[in-house]
Amino acid sequence: MKKILIAAALLGSSASAFAVAPGGPGCGWGNLLFEGKSGMPIHLLATIVNGTSGNATFGMTTGTNGCDTSGALTYSGQSLLAMNGVMEEVAQDMATGQGEALTALSVSMGVQSQDREHFNSVMHDNFASIFPNQDVTAADVMSNINQVMQKDTTLAKYVAA
Amino acid sequence: MRTGLLCVLLCWYLPVFAAASSSPSLDQIAAMPRWHALLHINPGATLRDRHKSYVDDPDFFFATNGASDPLAELRATVAALKPAGSQARCRFPARYRFVAEQLGWHDPAPLAQCADYLKWRKAVHAKRVVLVFPASYLNSPSSMFGHTLLRLDQGDDSAVWLSWAVNFGAVTSGKDNSLLYVYRGLAGGYPGRFNLVPYVKKIQEYSHMENRDMWEYTLDLNASQIDWLIDHLWELKNVNFDYYFFDENCSFRLLELIAMARPHAGLLQGLRLAEVPVNTVRTLEHKGMVTGRHYRPSKAVELEVLRKRLSPARQKLARRLADDPSLADSPAFRQAPPQVQSTMVDLAYRYLRLVHRKEARDEAVAKRSFALLTLMNRLPATTPPIPAHREAPEAGHGTQMLAAAGGRHENADFGELTYRFTYHDLLDNAYGFLRGAQIEGLGLTLRSTESGDPSLQKLDVVSIRSLAPRNRFIKPISWYVKGGIERTWAGRWRLARYVQGGAGASWQLGRWQPYLLGSLRAENNSEFAGFVTPGAGMEAGILYHRGAWQWQLESVGHYFSNDEYRHTSRVAVQWALTRQQGLRAELERVGWRGDGDNEFKLQWRWYID
Repeated sequence: MKKILIAAALLGSSASAFAVAPGGPGCGWGNLLFEGKSGMPIHLLATIVNGTSGNATFGMTTGTNGCDTSGALTYSGQSLLAMNGVMEEVAQDMATGQGEALTALSVSMGVQSQDREHFNSVMHDNFASIFPNQDVTAADVMSNINQVMQKDTTLAKYVAA
Repeated sequence: MRTGLLCVLLCWYLPVFAAASSSPSLDQIAAMPRWHALLHINPGATLRDRHKSYVDDPDFFFATNGASDPLAELRATVAALKPAGSQARCRFPARYRFVAEQLGWHDPAPLAQCADYLKWRKAVHAKRVVLVFPASYLNSPSSMFGHTLLRLDQGDDSAVWLSWAVNFGAVTSGKDNSLLYVYRGLAGGYPGRFNLVPYVKKIQEYSHMENRDMWEYTLDLNASQIDWLIDHLWELKNVNFDYYFFDENCSFRLLELIAMARPHAGLLQGLRLAEVPVNTVRTLEHKGMVTGRHYRPSKAVELEVLRKRLSPARQKLARRLADDPSLADSPAFRQAPPQVQSTMVDLAYRYLRLVHRKEARDEAVAKRSFALLTLMNRLPATTPPIPAHREAPEAGHGTQMLAAAGGRHENADFGELTYRFTYHDLLDNAYGFLRGAQIEGLGLTLRSTESGDPSLQKLDVVSIRSLAPRNRFIKPISWYVKGGIERTWAGRWRLARYVQGGAGASWQLGRWQPYLLGSLRAENNSEFAGFVTPGAGMEAGILYHRGAWQWQLESVGHYFSNDEYRHTSRVAVQWALTRQQGLRAELERVGWRGDGDNEFKLQWRWYID
């Protein structure tokens, strides 16, 4: 009885507590996990037991679960950018010339610590050519970054000609 | 003289001991803490399966009775791992390392045949291990219990986006209906597994999507201990554990994993009845294993910090800028100093992303976001929005509570004892907790009066409340739900079983936080004719917080379908004496058709565990 009461109370509570956007946040979380079951209690449970989907990833999945996991293998600049939501963070960091996403990008591209500040400022100065519009793809961005780096005497060594 | 003799004896015997300990007997090895840790034998820390393995998976053992007999499992393991080129070594590299060290096996390339493991190990390595605690977030008091995961850093301090996250969670099938789903999750119906994902996904999940602050605690583990941990993690790939919400949960499993890396740190000493994640942090800190602490604000907190940097007029302009970036050409915007301009643009951009991040892409929003980014690029960078004041969750009060109270109900004195299993209400000592959030489970109050025996006054099964302030940028709903048994007026004072909930809004005005909610109640008592009597009403109140003082003024009333009504008004204040103690005073009036009773109560609250 008590357990049912808890469950019922939790169910009631959760109705207004969460807004799970259908098809929303993308990879890895609720809507992938509980496909077709985007109801509130599901998300609540996910919060409580920190649920994972049946084919739980172990750092080397083949990416068949609708998730882009290419980034998980090598973390090369390309695959990091292709990860859901990362490009948005990189864009914001590039616009201001600072931030963790930008650092992660430079590290994943092999930029040495002494050149990272320079990398950040070059990315900041060339924001407009790297992100020419809001419809740019991850592949475009990566190729634009490569072009910018090739033109820079310090950064050229980090990209294949 | 005696010490001298002891010295001589020691020097004489030491080599003998050393020789003896270089190859201990299998009995001795099977009793070693690390062997037990590798097999996940319950050392008595939780009630289920004491002194047996937690692992619920026959493939994890070589011996048929391996889950309950560490010696039999050791014998079978030795037999399986001994042959050169054994495939079993690929499945259990940490066990191999352990057995080889104990038995003095010397194979220059013991795992050369294990291509998958070696490939994985090349990708998964670490110079530092960090315990991550995503704190609670507004509008989800159930998140107040928190969660913990481990982060494996490859070395570079500033590149944690490239780290791995080790997470333990329930593997859900998604086939059950909703109610069963929640029930099974709490009661252990789903298996738990470890998984390994890029940490950036966890940042996105918690900090970006759920708006939870993250606390990151660097652990005192050296390179060899980290290798133990990662090698053992490989052994846990696809291995099923039971998952129980209260004790055998994410936090307990991580603690076990850390204990395997440092078997002599005594991390699992004593009985751990409910592994509330914040207590995992406390245990590690108490054992001196936390060497650094880092705070990662959520996107919502960053937005709030930026908002507070601006005057109300400029906040308003920033909000309009989010809808129409061309306002950057307006005189009002251009008059502002460049630093203020960039704060406004930053705020507008972050607001757009906060609101739309969870939605499907919308072309118009994308266009406005991009326009703001372009503006941001041309303006000076803002100082990163990190709140100046932050309270570490482990510095908050304990998870359980005992309370003693004395008071007067009308003309009768009474005494009261309360026990609460978990966790925090709006008036409890606020330090380290989210303001305006409450979650209580299993609270019991007994009352004794001069005229009668002690009797049940209240049994709270659950009480969850979220008063999330609205402002120009975010407009959350405030709500609450509670259920249980309480003594209330229905013809006379009697026990009523009830479920009650409500929804509305709340605002923050300096230190004041008013709120207004509509409310519904379903009640069962022996006076009302129907089995369940529904009622509807309102609830209004105001909170005031300053230093160690938390005030609340509140009024709630319900009108029932049988034409009865009842309303309760109260003023309450709690003074946080210490981290673990609080003093609370309450004045309450319960009114009904034609009459009402007054009550005053003074309560001492002691937080434990």
